[in-house]
Amino acid sequence: MIEQDGYNLRLYVAGQTPKSIAAIANLTKLCKKHLAGRYTIEVIDLMKEPALAQRDQIIAIPTLIRHLPEPLRRIIGDLSNAEKVLVGLDIQPM
Amino acid sequence: MRTVRPDRKSTTASPSDAEETIEAIHGGNVDALMVKSPGGLRVVMLEGADQPYRMLVERMSDGALTLGPDNAILYANWRLSELTGRSSADLVDKRFDSLFADPAPRVADGGTGEGILLGAAGAIPVAVWSSSIAMGGLSVRLVTITDLSVQRRAEEIAIAERFARSILEQAAAAILVLSSDGRITHASGMAEKIATAPPVGRMFSDVFPLNVQSTAHAGILSRFTRESLDTALATKPFHGVEVKLHNRSMSKRFFLLSAGPLLNDAKEPIGSMVTLTDITARKRAEDQQTMLVAELNHRVKNILAIVQSVAGQTVRASSSLGSFSTAFSGRVKALALAHDVLTRTRWIGIGLNELLTAVLEPHQGAGGARVTLQGPAVLLPAQAVMPLSMAMHELATNASKYGALSVPQGTVTIDWILRDDGAPRVDVTWIERGGPKVESPGASGFGTKLIERVVGYDLDGKANLSFRPGGLRAVLSFPLKVDAAAPETSWSTLQPM
Repeated sequence: MIEQDGYNLRLYVAGQTPKSIAAIANLTKLCKKHLAGRYTIEVIDLMKEPALAQRDQIIAIPTLIRHLPEPLRRIIGDLSNAEKVLVGLDIQPM
Repeated sequence: MRTVRPDRKSTTASPSDAEETIEAIHGGNVDALMVKSPGGLRVVMLEGADQPYRMLVERMSDGALTLGPDNAILYANWRLSELTGRSSADLVDKRFDSLFADPAPRVADGGTGEGILLGAAGAIPVAVWSSSIAMGGLSVRLVTITDLSVQRRAEEIAIAERFARSILEQAAAAILVLSSDGRITHASGMAEKIATAPPVGRMFSDVFPLNVQSTAHAGILSRFTRESLDTALATKPFHGVEVKLHNRSMSKRFFLLSAGPLLNDAKEPIGSMVTLTDITARKRAEDQQTMLVAELNHRVKNILAIVQSVAGQTVRASSSLGSFSTAFSGRVKALALAHDVLTRTRWIGIGLNELLTAVLEPHQGAGGARVTLQGPAVLLPAQAVMPLSMAMHELATNASKYGALSVPQGTVTIDWILRDDGAPRVDVTWIERGGPKVESPGASGFGTKLIERVVGYDLDGKANLSFRPGGLRAVLSFPLKVDAAAPETSWSTLQPM
């Protein structure tokens, strides 16, 4: 279970597309650096389960959804710009 | 990263989400989109997104191809080109079945099958996997083709290896494979049994120390030191060199050592195969045969000496050529009969009853009632057979000429008892009845002398002959256990007197 102040993140990818792989790599690197011990990442492969796209209204892939802490936030793209991701997720750089 | 939209509680995409999405697509930040189709949501790749898959498929070790709805090839990977010896361009638009020898494999959706691919260098056994997928509104089939020949070859090699190993395990001879430096790389079950330590990995001479002094081929082996023998066995052929092992549990056994080179595909020696065959039983049989021949020689010489002696003495005791002839041939027959008995029983001995039956058979008469035998079972040692036969022959001959067997109503009874005064003895009593009245108290012919001397010297016993008026009564008493060290039949009594 995630703690109240923890980050609950969902990353939607499509198999091993270059952007999907880049997004997974960028996100895990960033979380390890700035959210150590305070995050969970759920990677959802829409190639295998396309119906799951409906849950978070996913149109483009890759897309990152911040479920917790609220409010929900959405970042589209391969997460290669770390600074913007930190701002988007409202994370104070450590 | 293109867009961040904070502070939204709903997950519903808004118009600005759409803008951001378009912006992200234009910026090349996404490579797939979700689109609605009659079958539900599906992923549509943007250009370049499937590049990693293409790379993987191109480089994979299995053949891969895509088939259109009419079973024509739309795409074939590099490996399939390699397997078939046909370029990718040559394969495209060809029928799937044309890749295979008849019948082409029929594979259910998502299933596998096997077939024979028409390969660049001949037929290749392959496994085929197939699955259907919808692409751009078309239903296509994805197929992989796996070369099974390597796997089959590996299986065949494994079977051949198991077979070879089972031969090694079951072989009665000790079989070893030596590397070129004399180190053992393989050993049969028998080799492991006779080695002084587990042989694999050790030098031959360490686990099979040879006792080179003790065999017929000592000269061949003494040329080698232990180390040079290892090298010699690994590189030179040896054929049937007799050896003994310097190993306490094997010291009484003889082995035949052979070695032959093992060659690789280029016919270069890579070591040798060494066999140690246990020939102990064969050696024993050979020794026994040599001993038997020597024994036979000895016996033949003995018999000839006996015949010579009997002839000489019969001549002296005979008054005419006719009487010599009769007496001599009777005595030689008795010797021959005794010899037959000994041969038949392999010089082990015979029952007293059987011997007497055989010796006295010519005197038995038509009804079989003239000679009666009675007594317990007694096994006569081989050494007693010939002397006793001779003595009985003399008694029977005498009875036929002068005693009970010379008249139709006369009978002979032979009975015997066993006595044991520390050593087993037998007393054989010969009683004649119903013969002509015995007038002379005793004829001192050669027959009587022979009986007394044969029993006295050759049977180490005593003969007591009493010529009573009613008939002859003879008691032959002798021990059953003849000294094995004594000369078997010295026949001293038969030496010319």
